[in-house]
This record gives sequence, structure tokens and C-alpha cells, in this order.
Amino acid sequence: MNDFFSMVLTFFIISNPVGCSPAVIALIKDFDFEHQKRIMLRETIAAFLLALFFQYAGGMFLDQLLIQPYVVKMCGGILLIIISLRMIFPPPHAHDVQKERVKKEPIIVPIATPLIAGPALLTMIMVYSQQVANPLVLTSALVVTWIGVGTVLIGAPYFNRFIGQRGLDVLERLMGMVLTLLAVDMIVGGLKLFGGTL
Amino acid sequence: MTLFTIAFTLFLIMDPIGNVTPFLNMTEDFSSKKRRWIVIREMGIALGFMLFFTFLGEYLFNILNISEVALKISSGLILFLIALQILIPHFDSMRESLPKGEPFFTPLAVPLIAGPSLLTTIMLFTHLEPSVSLMLFSIALAWGAATAVLFFSEKLQGILGINGLQVCENLMGMILILLAIQRFMDGVGQLLTSG
Repeated sequence: MNDFFSMVLTFFIISNPVGCSPAVIALIKDFDFEHQKRIMLRETIAAFLLALFFQYAGGMFLDQLLIQPYVVKMCGGILLIIISLRMIFPPPHAHDVQKERVKKEPIIVPIATPLIAGPALLTMIMVYSQQVANPLVLTSALVVTWIGVGTVLIGAPYFNRFIGQRGLDVLERLMGMVLTLLAVDMIVGGLKLFGGTL
Repeated sequence: MTLFTIAFTLFLIMDPIGNVTPFLNMTEDFSSKKRRWIVIREMGIALGFMLFFTFLGEYLFNILNISEVALKISSGLILFLIALQILIPHFDSMRESLPKGEPFFTPLAVPLIAGPSLLTTIMLFTHLEPSVSLMLFSIALAWGAATAVLFFSEKLQGILGINGLQVCENLMGMILILLAIQRFMDGVGQLLTSG
């Protein structure tokens, strides 16, 4: 049970719906309120399907491409540390670029992936799918996570009004710090596994 | 290594799906017929490069006195940086700033299709895989698939849309980065165990 909640928490932190909110809001701000909610619902479902696909078919891919488990872990860590460092130290003009990137309605890209179900999350799901014996446990953890993610995303427009841009900026930095810790932990874990293979 | 492993890896590194949008942007002013002819010609040039490296890679390997460890680490590093450009769009990518006009030799054949990552991978695989015929067959398979993707690039963009292409591209980038880290760590592991 404990593992279950740690999984849910990890997925939730990595998919980082709160930190993604500013970008998401910038992307959908030109649509009316009802339309925004519809977009968010669709994106949430798309990200979930992607996550499920990686839970069940990810392992097969890895076997065929001769990729070992420790690499998956290291890869998750390396991607995460790049993402988290960009959250703590945002590159100049990053916000402008995100606003300019898509003018038309966003479909799957960039909200479902890479913002929500990004490479780090998908890698993480594959890590767990190798560790957890019963696939249904992982699937239900994903479902529980997605209820939370969906709530945050669909509530993003309200949330923005409530805590304001400054609040979101602070939250993003804090999320970045937590992600950096997770990332280094993953890289170290991967290196330990690597040491075991020598 | 199996046929599927080699062919699929080479196909991923050629990254034809990621090259669809840059290719179509580059050749915006041309007719469909002309575009298809360009694809065939450029892919032919790329195939020439691949075969050149299949047969002379080993020779180059020996003449420059490169170790297998060095090849694995450098090939892993190049692949890693390429995958990072795909996954994290703020990194400057050469695909963003391609000159318009007919591509001849560069930039489509070399380096977008047969780039440094593909050529080092071919060198590595021919070094590791003793069967030349398996290697050639895999290259032909991967090349055929990549050519088909670019040949039908207009239709593909019509079906998937720019967003759909981006989704495929991100998934491919993820697999590429895994391959890159695996290869790099293989090199490091070999270095450590050989003393």
C-alpha cells in the first residue's frame, strides 16, 4: 500500500501539472472557457493513453533494442535533471517562446506530451513496469495519478486566477528543487545497477 | 544481434519521420513529382555513404587506431546530443534554420539522413557483427523504410498533421536517447573491465 502511494506521488510530481500550468494557460488562453476545459480533458486522456502504452509495450521495445534496465533509470535521471535545472534557472525568453510556439489549437503536442507525459514520466513508468509484478497495480496507480493530474489541469484556469503569476513562479522553483533531488537519486541508482553489471 | 535490432536501430537513427517537416519546408516551391525525385536521389546518395562506411569503416578504424571503447563513447555522445535536440526544443537545432531550395547532397542526404551518428553506428555494428550479409540486409531494410517515409511525406503530413508528426518525433527521440546512453555506458563498462 505504501509503495502504491509512493508511486502515485512520484508520477504526480514528475508529470508536474502545477508547474506546467503557466505554459498550459498561455497555450489555451485564446479559447473561450468551455473550449479550454474540453481541450484539457482531451489532453489529459491522450497523456494517459500514452502512459498506458509505455507500461505494456515499453519493455518489448527495450528488449529488441538491447537496452538494459540501468540505462532506463539513468536516462530518466538525466532528462529530469535537465528539465529541473531549467525550472530552477529558466532560460531567458523561455516564456515568450512558449507563448509563440502554438497559435492554433494544441492537439497532444505540446500539452499531453512533452509537458505532462514527458520522456521522464514515460521512462519512469517503464522503470516501474519492470519492478512491479502485477501490472494492474501500476495501471491503477496511473489512474489515481491521472485523477489528480486531470483535476489540476482542468482547474488550471481557476488556479491561475487564485494564486497569480508570482505564486506559480515560486511553485515552479520549488517543484524544480524536488525534481533535482529525484533526478540525482535516479542517476545514482542507475550507476549502482551499472556497477553491479561489471 | 538480430536483423530486427540492427534494422530498427538504423531506422531510428536516420529519423525519417523527424525529417519530414524540414524536407517539406525546404522544398515548398516544388511539385510533388519533383519532390519524389529529390527523395530518391538524396536517399541514393545517403545509401552510398552508408555502404562506404560499411566496407571501409573497419579499415578507417584500424588506420586511425581507434579503440572500440572510443567508438562506443563518441558514438553515444553524438547520439545523445542529437536526441536532446529533438526532445528539448529550446536547444538550437539545425533543422530550424535550413536554407530553402533544392537539397543536393547537403543538407538532406548528409547530415540529416546519413549523419555522424548513423555513420558511427554503422561502423560499430559492422565491427561487432561478423555476418556481412546480415549487415547489408539490415541496412537495405532500414533504408527502404526510411525512403518510403520520405517518399510519401506529403501524404504522411496530411494524415498525421504537424502535431501528429511531432508526437512520433518525440517518441523516437526518447528511444534514441536510451540507445545513446546504453552505448555510452557500454563503452564505459568495457573501459572499466579491460583494466
